[in-house]
Amino acid sequence: MMNSAKSSLMLSRSANRNQRLARWFGEGFLLVVTSLSMLAVLFILIFIARDALPFFSWTHFKEFFVSTAWYPTQNPPSFGALSILFGSLLVTLGAALVAIPLGLTAAVCLSDVLPFRVRQTVKPVVEMLAAIPSVAYGFFALIVFAPALQEHGGPMLAWAFWLVVTPFLALTLLVLADLAAARFAENRQNLVRGLVFALLGAMAAWGLWKTGRRLHGLEISSGTNALNAAIILGIMALPTMVSVAEDALQAIGRDLRMASYALGATRAETLVRVVIPAAASGILAAAILAIMRAIGETMVVWMASGNAARIPEPWYNLLEPVRTLTATIAGDMGEADQSAGSAHYHVLFAMALVLLLFSLACNIVSERMIARTRRRLR
Amino acid sequence: MLRLGTRKLLDRSFTGLGVLSIALLTAALLILLAPMCLRGSGAYVFQGTVEFRRVLLEKFQRGDRDELQRELALVRRARQPVFDALAAFQKELAVMPVAQRRKIKPDFEQVHAAVKELLGPLPGAEVPLMMRGQYGQTRWDRAQVKIRKILFAEDYDFSGGGLGRKVLKPRAATFRGTALEPLFAYVEHHAVAMLAPRWTFYGRFLTDTSHDAHFFGGIGPEALGTLYLTLGAILFAVPMGVIAAIYLVEYARENRLVRLLRICISTLAGVPSIVFGLFGLAFFINTVHLSANKSVLVGALTLGLLILPTIIRASEEALRAVPEAYKQAALSLGAGHWRSVRTVILPAALPGILTGVIISMGRAAGETAPIIFTAAVSVGKPLTLLQTFTQPTPALPWNIYNLCSEHVAVDEIRHVQYGMVFTLVVLVLLLNLAAIIVRARISKGLRT
Repeated sequence: MMNSAKSSLMLSRSANRNQRLARWFGEGFLLVVTSLSMLAVLFILIFIARDALPFFSWTHFKEFFVSTAWYPTQNPPSFGALSILFGSLLVTLGAALVAIPLGLTAAVCLSDVLPFRVRQTVKPVVEMLAAIPSVAYGFFALIVFAPALQEHGGPMLAWAFWLVVTPFLALTLLVLADLAAARFAENRQNLVRGLVFALLGAMAAWGLWKTGRRLHGLEISSGTNALNAAIILGIMALPTMVSVAEDALQAIGRDLRMASYALGATRAETLVRVVIPAAASGILAAAILAIMRAIGETMVVWMASGNAARIPEPWYNLLEPVRTLTATIAGDMGEADQSAGSAHYHVLFAMALVLLLFSLACNIVSERMIARTRRRLR
Repeated sequence: MLRLGTRKLLDRSFTGLGVLSIALLTAALLILLAPMCLRGSGAYVFQGTVEFRRVLLEKFQRGDRDELQRELALVRRARQPVFDALAAFQKELAVMPVAQRRKIKPDFEQVHAAVKELLGPLPGAEVPLMMRGQYGQTRWDRAQVKIRKILFAEDYDFSGGGLGRKVLKPRAATFRGTALEPLFAYVEHHAVAMLAPRWTFYGRFLTDTSHDAHFFGGIGPEALGTLYLTLGAILFAVPMGVIAAIYLVEYARENRLVRLLRICISTLAGVPSIVFGLFGLAFFINTVHLSANKSVLVGALTLGLLILPTIIRASEEALRAVPEAYKQAALSLGAGHWRSVRTVILPAALPGILTGVIISMGRAAGETAPIIFTAAVSVGKPLTLLQTFTQPTPALPWNIYNLCSEHVAVDEIRHVQYGMVFTLVVLVLLLNLAAIIVRARISKGLRT
């Protein structure tokens, strides 16, 4: 004890050198361990690309992106992945349609509307949604949601449609009636407002009823389809959207909000016209991260999407089964010869490379967005 | 310009929209968890029949042999009329006119098969090779399904057009006037006596091995495999992650290398999990030859890479949250940089780091895609610690997938699937709860 204290206090030249050497080595060691994650990224890129490149000879390259004929085990095999790429895009788009609006409103509500105490109890809900393993989501989609969709799909869709669209339509009508009334003289405004509201309302109600009836009558032949996968994926991607967007909204700070209130804006106006535009890049980053989560997810789409490698007819028909990149990799790697370099093995790596490059690009864009928000706020 | 009234209404409906979305979020969570918890707990607590107790005694050597013998004698007496009716009808069938026999025989074969499924092999018949044929229904809920199968024939009604509706036709009408007719009423009213259902708590479901492709027994090998994989991933990722975080927070100067490092860490966090799985296959197995084929070691390393960025970020945040005063106090007492990190900053940041570690444990336990090609197999024995270096293992997430989409009789083992999902979800949520509690402690600790 005494000895070590003495040596560390002595400023002799050799002790100093030893200390500096030790520090240099220590820091070097820390740096080496830290760069392991860099190495991991590099290695992932290299090894996925290395096994993908043998597939991308020129004819295959064209076939991969242009043809929809996916018969990897036939002789001769054909590796047209267009329908699979399309399936991935369709399901991800559907998931984004669920996750982004819902996630944004939830984030706004969490950051600006709810009182602190309620927020503390809602946050664990979001965390739990994020924590539930993807295979549990997939299980729910396959065992609970798919049969329900198959048996009561039409009514479920109709009710969901009515529930979502009716309030929006009512509000739009209200605003339209108000805007129309503002063009007339003071004493006739109420009459005009009532008239416009009644007229447009009747039209909207008729449209709602018609569309709802059509949805109600739908018969869904298989519960495992793109819609099922998209909804469940959307719920899975929600926590990412909510937490990142909420951070972005919080980062805007009180000053902007107070300024807006001082100018007489309501809370909704403040949020829509001031806070959300100011946080736009952060919210965009959140949306990109949510999309990344959806497109990279395996188990849910594997279990819920039906795994049929063809483009739905018509292309936006969410009620038909589709097949995604991740599900193809997971499902086919067992059949493909895992060690020998068959073409089937390499095409799956090519798909992984497509996924990897897409998520790399998304990641870079979202990082830029978040950095931009930070810079602007500073 | 809008009226003030309209603006207020819009404001209020905007609030309503926000609250609605939160309500939807909560509803989604509840709808998701409810069936898993309700039906999942049915794997642990259920009405077990006498067949269940037979399986326990004969395959797991648990239970009271004498009591079971007594119970079996009672049950056998209750079942005798069923066997008698079957035998009598078989005799009747032999002397029946050909046309009538041809009509009725398929129905009889269905009944015969259903009775075998309900009660196990008939007395005197040879014992089947598969274990699922050696025992009757072990669970009362499954037994009731089989009883319905005896009592009713399924048919489809296409008169409404479209996909057709399922209708149930009572079999008693088909067999009216034959020796088999009394069987249906008897089965309907004496099922309890034939199977002796009793509420059972089967806690060993978590640790028992499974028999005959999960028809009997528990999920022991899967639970153990998940434990190995999770602990292995943590063992690999935590030291690496914490060291990286210490470097980034305490030592790194903002230069190009460090910026590159940060970009790489966030990139690693964004790599799809299935790509991790392919990487594990291509690198650890096909290039480095860490093990000849899939193994727990390779799976744990792959999972470790997957959770590394999470751990780095959580640790970084925890280290940054340590007040600057702590560090300055340590330095002013004469501690070197490294010593102040080791003795002051790291202990202060430990709860925060722990939170990150616990959450990533949950993530590692639940991830499926990375272990498909690196560690998981559908059927396997529980491994010893040494075997984990060379052998693959069944694991909860993979086997959930496997049992509900690739199993031979998906409908027969619903309770096992639900039980597995329930176990996994409860495990993950408990870990998260622990993390929430630790975090609450920290915020309380920092305030005082």
